[in-house]
Amino acid sequence: MGKHVVVIGGGTAGMEAAGQLAKEGFEVSLVEKEEETGGHIKDWYKLFPDRRNSSEIRDYLEKKVTSKSIRIMTGTYIEKFHSYRDGFSLFTQDGTELKADAVVVATGFDLFKSEKKEEYGYGIYDNVITSADLEAMFRKGKISMSDGMTPKTVGFVHCVGSRDEKAGNFYCSKLCCVTAVKQAIEVREHLPESKVFSFYMDMRMGGAYYEELYREAQEVWGINFIRGKVSEASESINNKIVIKVEDTLAGRPLKMELDMLVLMAGMEMSEGGNRIAALSGLKKGENRFFAPLDHHFANNLSNVKGVFFAGTCTAPMNITETISHARSAVSEVINYFNNTNS
Amino acid sequence: MKLEGKKAIWSEYQKEIADDRFFYVRSCVRQNFFPGSETTFLKIMRKELMKDIYEHPCHTTCTGIGYHGDIVPVETAMTVVARQFSLMTEAGYENLLPSCITSFGLYTEILDTWHHFPEVEEKIRKQLRKATGREFIKPKNLAHASDVIYKFRKEISAKAKFRLINKNTGEPLKVVDHIGCHYAKMFPSKGIGGAEYPYVLAGMVEEWGGKVIDYPERRHCCGFGFRQYLVQANRGFSIACSKEKFESMKPFKPDMIITNCPGCPMFLDRWQYVINEMEGKRYGQNGESIPVFTYEEVAGLVLGYNPWDLGLQMHQTDCEPVLDKMGIEYDPDEKYNTSIPDEKVKIPGLVNV
Amino acid sequence: MENYLELLKQDIRFEEGLNACMNCGVCTAICPAAEFYNYDPRKIIDLVQSGDNNEIEKLLKSEEIWYCGECMSCKTRCPRGNAPGLVIMALRGLSQELGFFVESEKGRQQLAVKRTVGQWILDHGYCLYLEGVGTDLHPEQGPVWDWIQDNYREVFHRLGANYQGEGPGILRKIPVEAMEEIRKIFEVTGGNRRYEKIEYYSKKKAEEMNMKLDEGIDNEYFRYIYKTNNGSHTK
Repeated sequence: MGKHVVVIGGGTAGMEAAGQLAKEGFEVSLVEKEEETGGHIKDWYKLFPDRRNSSEIRDYLEKKVTSKSIRIMTGTYIEKFHSYRDGFSLFTQDGTELKADAVVVATGFDLFKSEKKEEYGYGIYDNVITSADLEAMFRKGKISMSDGMTPKTVGFVHCVGSRDEKAGNFYCSKLCCVTAVKQAIEVREHLPESKVFSFYMDMRMGGAYYEELYREAQEVWGINFIRGKVSEASESINNKIVIKVEDTLAGRPLKMELDMLVLMAGMEMSEGGNRIAALSGLKKGENRFFAPLDHHFANNLSNVKGVFFAGTCTAPMNITETISHARSAVSEVINYFNNTNS
Repeated sequence: MKLEGKKAIWSEYQKEIADDRFFYVRSCVRQNFFPGSETTFLKIMRKELMKDIYEHPCHTTCTGIGYHGDIVPVETAMTVVARQFSLMTEAGYENLLPSCITSFGLYTEILDTWHHFPEVEEKIRKQLRKATGREFIKPKNLAHASDVIYKFRKEISAKAKFRLINKNTGEPLKVVDHIGCHYAKMFPSKGIGGAEYPYVLAGMVEEWGGKVIDYPERRHCCGFGFRQYLVQANRGFSIACSKEKFESMKPFKPDMIITNCPGCPMFLDRWQYVINEMEGKRYGQNGESIPVFTYEEVAGLVLGYNPWDLGLQMHQTDCEPVLDKMGIEYDPDEKYNTSIPDEKVKIPGLVNV
Repeated sequence: MENYLELLKQDIRFEEGLNACMNCGVCTAICPAAEFYNYDPRKIIDLVQSGDNNEIEKLLKSEEIWYCGECMSCKTRCPRGNAPGLVIMALRGLSQELGFFVESEKGRQQLAVKRTVGQWILDHGYCLYLEGVGTDLHPEQGPVWDWIQDNYREVFHRLGANYQGEGPGILRKIPVEAMEEIRKIFEVTGGNRRYEKIEYYSKKKAEEMNMKLDEGIDNEYFRYIYKTNNGSHTK
């Protein structure tokens, strides 16, 4: 067909979209600002709900983009974005022009910066870490406190930066609950002597086999789920983390000492996405993610003709949903070309 | 504990503080318990910093304690506050400078409410006009007196005769900074450093050579609780809150406590005395208690003022241990002396806590 | 029975203090009153939010709404932007308006606050006016306070006060014209009406309890409400 599509963002959605576009016969430029493709998939150790290796997904995606039709440009980002009547002209930072017949925006998400939730002391107290920090420990194969010792008690704090007016995000990030359950199980697996607590407001187990994982966490692994949002964390004289939380089901405030506190940081529109929004005139919703033309039946379409969305740049999604969303974006690209040709 | 993390937060919460031409409104608690602090504040502002700071003789209480004691309805409190604004407008000032933290909180709350509900502001204007015939312009700048001392902490440091350093060891004094709840908890953006790691006092302490201690109950209320203290039957709550703080700070071995609220220094001071009387327990080192200061008292000590001009003799918990550590000389005989030399002064017994 | 939720909504602090609560519990977690008293701000908000008129009436007559210390630590943390402390203030206001406050031990204490702080505001223009308020009412003030009371004017003079003097200064005499304005403000804005209600309902309660209630603080009912603690308020 000779059409050239630029995919901005080389994470799960971008790679899937690029691979699918190539299969459909298009020329693709996949632009990724980091030195490696893969996006956040690189940060995971094992994935929920079944704790399969994230490398399996990564391998699948890398295989998918192995095609003569795909030009992968890493360490590259878009600096100029011009729309014309019959196409787009994008410039990278080194001045390369990419003339595109259509654009797929797959700029993904960033994790909420947990320092902003000051009362938890991230970046101040050594043994307060995020879910991303913990996942990195899993990848290294060692869970340890700042002094190298093994934690005996670990607490997970749900909803850090989500469902929170004070943090600036009213929405739910959807995947943190199941991530917390997965990570809690993994801590118990690595450290059988440990006691693990999970402090939640709601248990949002809205994916296939998520609820079963929650049950397993309780039945098999003995994880203590306490319904209450952690109010604050501070540091005791011996570097332990002291938290205050209400056990709302018992109706009692608690003060607890833990070795380590893990903050389940939520998802936000990525910095890269914000830059593209500013360059391209693409609209953002109230939740600051990109606003699809219609949430129900045009979820890949944008307010700019010929520009399509794929993945978590529109809303929190898991990997399954991201891959499906990327494929439906490609389907929309094909529709678009068919309609403009006829 | 990583200080860089705190510094990042402190830089997020900056606040505009006026430079000069302040309209000073006094604090009911401080006039009754810490008169030396208010006198020292005015002395520092006028004599050291050469600032124009004006006190209208017709200003009154903002009714904050009555408001938080729930006997003064919200509209009454708002109208009394509107009258304070009117006095300020009348005197030709725009920068409101309350001495009290409850006042600061109340003024901030009222301005915020009027911002979101302009019809309430209109109603209060009508009521003030009806009651007194007065009109007012809202303050252009609202800063607490501790904000201003914070702003000029370097200037004070430049004139310092003493520093918050233990002269025997050369080490900085370990200081607990206790911030009044109504400073930043209601509107974190209105407090320097925000609500979680307020910097207004920490900045002073650091500038003057001391070291701030972080301890788990740092943010806990001292327990004033308004009616929880005012009524005798409720005072257990008040002392329990202070005790919680003392127990939490003790392992960190503080040399002193600095506060910016009127009530807090009084409670942290008196409750140490009461706990010692009731349980024989003290929270400082070497069997001592922890001296409690207002920020003006600390500024005054740093500037070399006479401790008895600052009003330290009105504290129940002795401040001498800190004076000794700082190398400040003082006349112990002058402590309970008053300005009338021929008067026979009764020296209190068993004051040393 | 009135619609208490509608009455509460007329208080601007209720408007500001309650958007919608999802029962996360950060308020109770941080609340000093919840630590020591049988008190849970989350439960109170949940109850008020439900709009159950019978339950709200019970609340207005209960001990619970009097435990809060109004520190506003709850307001800092709430992810929905609520402030239980402000809702408590609205509840306390309504409880006094309707006379329900005398049904609880803690609520009855409002007369004590009114006759001390409340009276000082109207008489002197200060919330606290403490010459003569000694360690009999406030033993925790300690021996230094005895010394201060014994040497009141001298101690204050030494520290730069203008005690009961003309012009600006610490504990100055606030000019008559200014006090007149304050009294008019109380008249016009409902401050006096609040004071009168506190007195009226307290008098009725004192009669009901067969206790003497005269003017001032030196009477049976005042001493009773000031000192009585039935010991059932804490965990």
